[in-house]
Amino acid sequence: MTPDIAIRVRNVTHQFGEEGETRHVRALSDTSLDVKRGELLCLIGPSGCGKSTLLNMIGGLLTPTSGTVEIAGKPVRGPLPHDIAFVFQENALFPWNTVLENILLGMLFQGVPKAEREARARRSLEAVGLADFAQHYPAQLSGGMRQRAALARALSLETDILLMDEPFGALDEQTRMVLGEDLSVLLSRARKTIVFVTHSLGEAVFLADRVAVFSARPGTIKQVIAVDEPHPRKPAFMTSDKFTALRNQLYGLLHDEIRKTMAEAT
Amino acid sequence: MTAASTIRRALLRHPGWVRIGVVVILLCAWELAARFVVDPMFLSPPSRVLASLDRVWGTPGVPAALRVTFFELAVAFAISVAIGLVIGLAVGLQSFARLSVMPIILLLYGMPQITILPLFILFFGIGPASKIAFGVSHGVFPIVLAIVAGVQNIKPILLTSARSMGASRWHILRYVIFPHMIPSFFAGMRLGMTGVLLGVLLAELYVSTAGIGHFTTQFTQNFDPTRLLGLISILAAMAIVLNEIVRRAEIRFGKWHSS
Amino acid sequence: MAGGREQRRKWASRAVQAGFLVVLTLLWYLATTRWGVSSLLLPNPVRVVQQLGDILRSGEFVGDLKITVAELAAAFAVSSTAGVTFGYFLSRSPYLVRVFEPLLAGVYAIPIILFLPLYVLFFGLGPASKIALGATISFFPIVLNTLAGFGNVERTLVVAARSMGASDYHLFRYVLLPAALPVMLTGLRMGFTVALLSIIGSETIASLAGLGHRIVYLAESMEMPRMFAYIAFVVVIAVFLNTVVSTFEGRFRREP
Repeated sequence: MTPDIAIRVRNVTHQFGEEGETRHVRALSDTSLDVKRGELLCLIGPSGCGKSTLLNMIGGLLTPTSGTVEIAGKPVRGPLPHDIAFVFQENALFPWNTVLENILLGMLFQGVPKAEREARARRSLEAVGLADFAQHYPAQLSGGMRQRAALARALSLETDILLMDEPFGALDEQTRMVLGEDLSVLLSRARKTIVFVTHSLGEAVFLADRVAVFSARPGTIKQVIAVDEPHPRKPAFMTSDKFTALRNQLYGLLHDEIRKTMAEAT
Repeated sequence: MTAASTIRRALLRHPGWVRIGVVVILLCAWELAARFVVDPMFLSPPSRVLASLDRVWGTPGVPAALRVTFFELAVAFAISVAIGLVIGLAVGLQSFARLSVMPIILLLYGMPQITILPLFILFFGIGPASKIAFGVSHGVFPIVLAIVAGVQNIKPILLTSARSMGASRWHILRYVIFPHMIPSFFAGMRLGMTGVLLGVLLAELYVSTAGIGHFTTQFTQNFDPTRLLGLISILAAMAIVLNEIVRRAEIRFGKWHSS
Repeated sequence: MAGGREQRRKWASRAVQAGFLVVLTLLWYLATTRWGVSSLLLPNPVRVVQQLGDILRSGEFVGDLKITVAELAAAFAVSSTAGVTFGYFLSRSPYLVRVFEPLLAGVYAIPIILFLPLYVLFFGLGPASKIALGATISFFPIVLNTLAGFGNVERTLVVAARSMGASDYHLFRYVLLPAALPVMLTGLRMGFTVALLSIIGSETIASLAGLGHRIVYLAESMEMPRMFAYIAFVVVIAVFLNTVVSTFEGRFRREP
């Protein structure tokens, strides 16, 4: 495997439950994907298309029914806390710990020596702009700040790969906008490989180097679009013609799939 | 602005005062009824009960009986918590154990234990052991149920998140499951204390050859409502204090921090 | 259709439960017949079953059962009427609710069974003291739940009904009562269960008749097999009564 490819997914399928059971669902069918080192790849698609399933398989939280996933040449058979860090949509912070304690705990789990933990935690809190909120509890923070904290926790683990499952999905539009811009700035400094699941077309175009568009369930990757724009992305990019054209292209690809999914649900 | 409406406004803003007022009115009604209406053989006014508390305490054997009762309550509670914690964790953490054992536990919990009180006395004797055992048998179930609930209703994403960061099974137990279950544990202890009080006091009242049951029977048979009410008041105060301790502990330690 | 792993787990757990009962019965039998546990402590299960049959056939249980059930009925009648009435009228004033609710709930801090000797002193060892205590104890869950039920009726429902011209009676019969009913029924169920337990309890501690007393009497005469038989009988009766009441509660909760 060339050193350029951080994540290699080959012919992966996944189904929940066994055939004949009422719960049987084919989530993902025959999907393949290469994620280049240092790029930000977005997964976008209608509900239930399997994008979160794929993310969990890359992260070792789920075993594919068939197919393989490789991280830096190693096959993935379980969580790889030293290579991969997750940011979930919400509620992944431990409510009984402060923000700082949450971050320190993550490092304890990973196995970072005690002496290094505090410094790393403070650095990542600075990076996300939460240095003054280290002693706060998650319930005392707004949704946006909680997600910053979750991001700080992931960053403190100093992994090469970051997997983000709709991290801004529970937030309002304005907070998303601000966090999206801040994220772009942060990531341009951090040099990580990132796979980012989202529902938002604008978010995908604004943040990603490439966008993988999923079809309706059972999902597979329909097409991959490249976004050729240097990082960090400026706010001006959002109002440019290039942005609008890419967004429209995504919309065209997705619209039928979304309709198909809605029809199936009724 | 009349005096009446000012008073009315004040009372409306402070329901606590009205509450105290209601209690005072009830006490007065009790006082008047006991003095003028009811035969003194059957009821004693609160003033007399209060004044005679030292006589109750002076009755030979009563202080010892009260001390033993308190000891039984404390020990029964401690044992209930210990056993409840162990069983609760064992059942709550293992899904197959929960599936098979919980129905049995619920069945036992639903059984009217009062029917086997005489059996407890026959098995354990008339000393503190039977009272403690009966208390534990009432107090342990709410604790087990609360712990199982506390372990079960943990949001899966917290476990997934910990796993993704490389947490070992021990890490998850110590840093995720245990802190998550603490509020439920304290709520369970509060209910457990109620159960222990019920169990121990039932057993004590039943055994009328020793302990407070002996004195309640004695005071009843001698038509001595003054000392009977005095004894009951002391026990009621004991119950209130113990319940309050657990309640305060729950408020102090049993909640995660939130604004 | 084969559900695979889930079905197997369900079967396995049922097997464990059944196995538990079987092993328990087996241990009981062996303990009394082979392992020399004193029959004064644990009677032979076969003898217990025989005694149970005898009790049922001879109808000996009828007298005590009648007394216990009569006490229960009387206590529950008093507490439910008083509890519902008091709870309803209290709920009409949110201020009074704020005053009285903590007082009523605060009583739970004391096990009211403590007052049994006082009731016995007042009413004697007969049914009256059991009824009085049972009524007292079961009053509280009923009144608190009735209070909560009527107190938490959605404001908009009341406003809507009034706007359509509903009278006080209409409001009560067609809006308040149906809205409060589920919570009220839960309170009544709790009150019933607690009344039953308190009556058996007071019969055990201080009584001359009734099922609780019968068990104590047999314990004192060391008639172990018969006592165990009566315990089983009372447990079945209690479970039966509670199931009936729970079903009643459930039936009403489903019909709007």
